[in-house]
Amino acid sequence: MKRLILPLTAFLFFIMEGSFANLLAGDIFGGDKIIVPRFIMILVAFITIYGSRRTGMVYGFILGIMYDVVYTEILGIYMFMLPFFAYLIAKIMRIFQSNLLVTILTSLVFITLLEVIVYQINLLIGFAHMEFNTFLEIRLVPTLLLNLAFLIVFSYPLKRMIEKQELESAGE
Amino acid sequence: MPQFFNKKLILLLAGIIVLVALIGFSMRERETLSWPEQFFKDTTGWFANAFDKPVSAVTGLFENLSDLQNTYDENAKLKARLGEYVQIKTEVQALKKENADLRKILDKEDDLSKYSPIQATVIGRNPDRWNELITINKGEMNGIETNMAVITADGLIGKIKSTTPTTATVQLVSSGDPNNKISASIVQQDAANGIIEGYDDKQGYLLMKRIPFDKEIKIGSIVETSGLGGVFPSRLIVGKVVEVKVDQNGLNQTAYLEPATDFYDIKNVIVVKREVVGDEEAKGEGKE
Repeated sequence: MKRLILPLTAFLFFIMEGSFANLLAGDIFGGDKIIVPRFIMILVAFITIYGSRRTGMVYGFILGIMYDVVYTEILGIYMFMLPFFAYLIAKIMRIFQSNLLVTILTSLVFITLLEVIVYQINLLIGFAHMEFNTFLEIRLVPTLLLNLAFLIVFSYPLKRMIEKQELESAGE
Repeated sequence: MPQFFNKKLILLLAGIIVLVALIGFSMRERETLSWPEQFFKDTTGWFANAFDKPVSAVTGLFENLSDLQNTYDENAKLKARLGEYVQIKTEVQALKKENADLRKILDKEDDLSKYSPIQATVIGRNPDRWNELITINKGEMNGIETNMAVITADGLIGKIKSTTPTTATVQLVSSGDPNNKISASIVQQDAANGIIEGYDDKQGYLLMKRIPFDKEIKIGSIVETSGLGGVFPSRLIVGKVVEVKVDQNGLNQTAYLEPATDFYDIKNVIVVKREVVGDEEAKGEGKE
């Protein structure tokens, strides 16, 4: 049963992202801003840092495929980016100490990277028509603020949960 | 040559090739999704539907509270318009009867504006908001097909992009997808046809392109679907003209429309099934 906690959390985050997106698009949060929940990216970053690189990349790949199929209907982008980012995060984390603050900052940096790269790909295939300044103003800044709030609330429980899982699987 | 054979580099390059191939594959206009995609969408759709119920209950409570604050003002306004409404209603009834009589005389039963509605609830939205897609809780089993029009109480919001047995994906009019086109016409004395494609993110205006340059367009005119596209019924309200610009080559005009509906706050939608089947549809190629 305990082994299922992480996959279930991942699935819950995945569903939450879709429902949240509809909620955040509403007028309560200001309809003219585009706020993108990036909970999956955060989860992949945490798994990579507190778990292992391999687990991080596997989760990134599976969640990425599901994201592409269920949400964006453009296959490939997230399926490729999430495991690739997990790999990069693992490389970077060899240099830094992994305390909670560094983890939060790393997550935010990689959310920014993800946003910018996905924006560029969409520009390339003709889905995005936004200028870079507009992108920064109505999309990137609100997105980072939301995800920072999410990180502040959930980073500690997430860290504990993943570390516990890691200990258990190492002990077997 | 072991140093040229860097495994990671090759993996990365292979990944990029697969990425480009997959993007290319999904950019084609596909009529149906492959079965693994349908399976994923159906399963997550079921969970999203279950998850949506408590969430919408809580948000609904907050919204009701804020609605209560405006009730007094709204009530006063509505009362003032009630008199107007009765008059319009009798007028509409007379016109409807006259229309039916005239149709009978002409022996013309078909009407592009006739449709049957299917109610649905929004259970999710594409979080990465480049391709504006929403998921609804009705699918093929409820009679929903690709390319049907989707409206809210205020007007048109989009069309069905793909379906699975129990869910369907709606592509909003505001989506940046280059394949996302809707044929529309401006309602005025001398009606002008054009195609709605593109959205101005900053101002929130829809772009209606390819209007002939010699048409004079009145600012403030209502824009409706024309029903010429194949599966859309006519006379679904899209928006109002706020600005007109002549294209660079001077052959066409582009009108900027203020959308009639809010593309942000969407909870309940109506999928519209046109009663008159287009020629193309009858031949079995339901492509717009």
